[in-house]
Amino acid sequence: MNKLGHSDIIILLASIGGLLILARIFAELGKKIKMPIVMGEILLGIILGPTILGAVSPEFSSWIFPKAGASKIAMDGITNLAVVMLLFVAGMEVQLQVMLKQGKTAVYTSITSMIIPFVLGFAAVWFLPNFFTFTPDRKLVYALFFGIAMAVSALPVITRILMDLNLFKTKVGMIVIAAAIFDDLTGWILFSFVLSLMGQEGEITSIGFTVGMIFGFGLFMLIIGRYIINSTLPWIQRKLSWPGGVLSIALGLCFLGAAFTEYIGLHAILGAFIVGIAFGDSVHLQEREREIIYQFVTNVFAPLFFVSIGFKVNFIENFDLPLVLLVFFLAVGCKVFGAALGGYMGGLTKRESLAVGFGLNARGAMEIILGTLALNAGLIDSKMFVALVVMALITSMMSGPLVKRFID
Amino acid sequence: MDLSKLKKRPAYPFETIAVAVSFSPRCLPVLAQAKYLSDVLNASLLLIHIGEKSSEKERQLDDLMSKLGMDDSHYRVIWMEGEPVETILKLCKLNMVDLLVLGALEKENVLKFYLGSIARNISRRAKCSVLLLTNPTEQPIRYRKIVVNGVENPKTVHTISTAFYFAKHVKAKDVTIVNEVNVPGLAMAIADDSTAPEAKEIKKHFNEEVEEHIQSIVKQCDTADINVMNKSVKGKPGYAISKYAKDRKADVLVINSPDTNLNLLDRIFTHDIEYILAHLPCNLLIVHSRV
Repeated sequence: MNKLGHSDIIILLASIGGLLILARIFAELGKKIKMPIVMGEILLGIILGPTILGAVSPEFSSWIFPKAGASKIAMDGITNLAVVMLLFVAGMEVQLQVMLKQGKTAVYTSITSMIIPFVLGFAAVWFLPNFFTFTPDRKLVYALFFGIAMAVSALPVITRILMDLNLFKTKVGMIVIAAAIFDDLTGWILFSFVLSLMGQEGEITSIGFTVGMIFGFGLFMLIIGRYIINSTLPWIQRKLSWPGGVLSIALGLCFLGAAFTEYIGLHAILGAFIVGIAFGDSVHLQEREREIIYQFVTNVFAPLFFVSIGFKVNFIENFDLPLVLLVFFLAVGCKVFGAALGGYMGGLTKRESLAVGFGLNARGAMEIILGTLALNAGLIDSKMFVALVVMALITSMMSGPLVKRFID
Repeated sequence: MDLSKLKKRPAYPFETIAVAVSFSPRCLPVLAQAKYLSDVLNASLLLIHIGEKSSEKERQLDDLMSKLGMDDSHYRVIWMEGEPVETILKLCKLNMVDLLVLGALEKENVLKFYLGSIARNISRRAKCSVLLLTNPTEQPIRYRKIVVNGVENPKTVHTISTAFYFAKHVKAKDVTIVNEVNVPGLAMAIADDSTAPEAKEIKKHFNEEVEEHIQSIVKQCDTADINVMNKSVKGKPGYAISKYAKDRKADVLVINSPDTNLNLLDRIFTHDIEYILAHLPCNLLIVHSRV
């Protein structure tokens, strides 16, 4: 089958329409009880997917989110687009100068909040391999991935928490933001490196090539690409219809960047992320345009992606309590310790340092995207994926109250 | 060099004003502005020339100063050879200069911007306040509209009070304190889970908080008869205030001095002040608060 049939189109459109509306209802209901939006969307996927509805009525579940055929390919295409766009908007929030100008404390916090969880996560897999499931030839890649999974943060969740606690402009708030930007930046670059390593373990020339390409592409986009985008954006705003012109060019560049990095053997997300940084950094990008891009991605494509997560695995069957606890405590312990240590070394008090640690501990949607990509790439199994999703959701919910506790 | 006195020295009054003398076509207008400021601020005037001292240059300088109606009892001249930026910075420290006046082009070509011109390099590193004049004239500039940064930084209180001190003496009419609103992650966080009224409330809250902060600073300043306004602008720090100053046709933009010594990296991954230096929107006063 190489094209969508009449019934496939009906199923695809009906499932997208239904999922979008239901996702919104679940997200709004979740908001009432202070649950992150993304949790409501994932919960909907779990209810409609193999975990609940799929167990009772597999046919109906498959009808909503096709498991095979042309509709599935189309749906997979949409969720892939969603991930690429999510990474693009995540990149748009990376402000390199915010990170650079925060001073000594932010530098220490950024480095320790990244390196300590990464090293401890890597060491956990390396020295305690029995707790994890991976093929022996992928031990290094798996350990690298797990290190990154322990180290990432979620800037939007963190921003929201700081905003709700009125901490945004405080010293602690700015340090947390600077470190989250650094963690996002290094985390996604490292992760695309790890994904590109799959299947080429041990080949030094390939690894060297991959590293060279990442740096080459990154530097090109962040210096020359950024300059070109910044110089041409006023023309786009003046000469093309507004805001449609900016939206088209932004997403066009996002997909071109993604296609290019995929073509050169890196993952598409890296291209989207770096183009996002270059685009978001333009001084000419208006707040309204930024909001429109975010609204489009986070309210149309992101829900489909997060709902699709619930359809990927059976969350009850793959809920491995010891693994969930291990991932959760390791993630919280090493992130809070790493970030707090950096803050303390930089001159914060113990309580402020712990507030920084718990602030950066929110993993949110970024961890879930990371887990999904690793699952799709066959790097992790469903049990690890479930453990990462649970960890991401709980850390996002516990972050706010704990930051408040240590800052009051 | 004893810098302890320098460190404790307040940002204003400007007791010693220095001006770099280059003998370029813009030399006379720059000197005229420095003289005007030394008159209205009741400051002593120090002329600095980096280069070889010669009788020809001395005669030229005398001619320029006599055109401005000044004899050598009203100013001091320092002649020194050396690398211009380093030497000027050193002389400013040694002579406890409070304000250094320099002529500067509005915009420099890309290569020169990245390599750094003398005026801009001094602005990045000076340990005293610096006034960059974009279009100096032989007649005193009328500083009617002054725009000041209201960024949240310990230096801002000194910058705003220095702006009022300056405004009072040059008889400015309006001082607008501008706060740039730029919150990384805010737009995405709002897009994710805020209703329209919530989003509006969040933005309003940010503005109110900023206004309260600025009001508390302004209360401590001697605003005399000056019309004071607050303004919040959205966008990248540095660029947003620069654009505002240009759109408002400000006569001088007053900003904090950079917190650290800026380098090439700050021009590539643009630091706030570099947006302003890349294209000066008007005359620029960088206040060095020495705190």
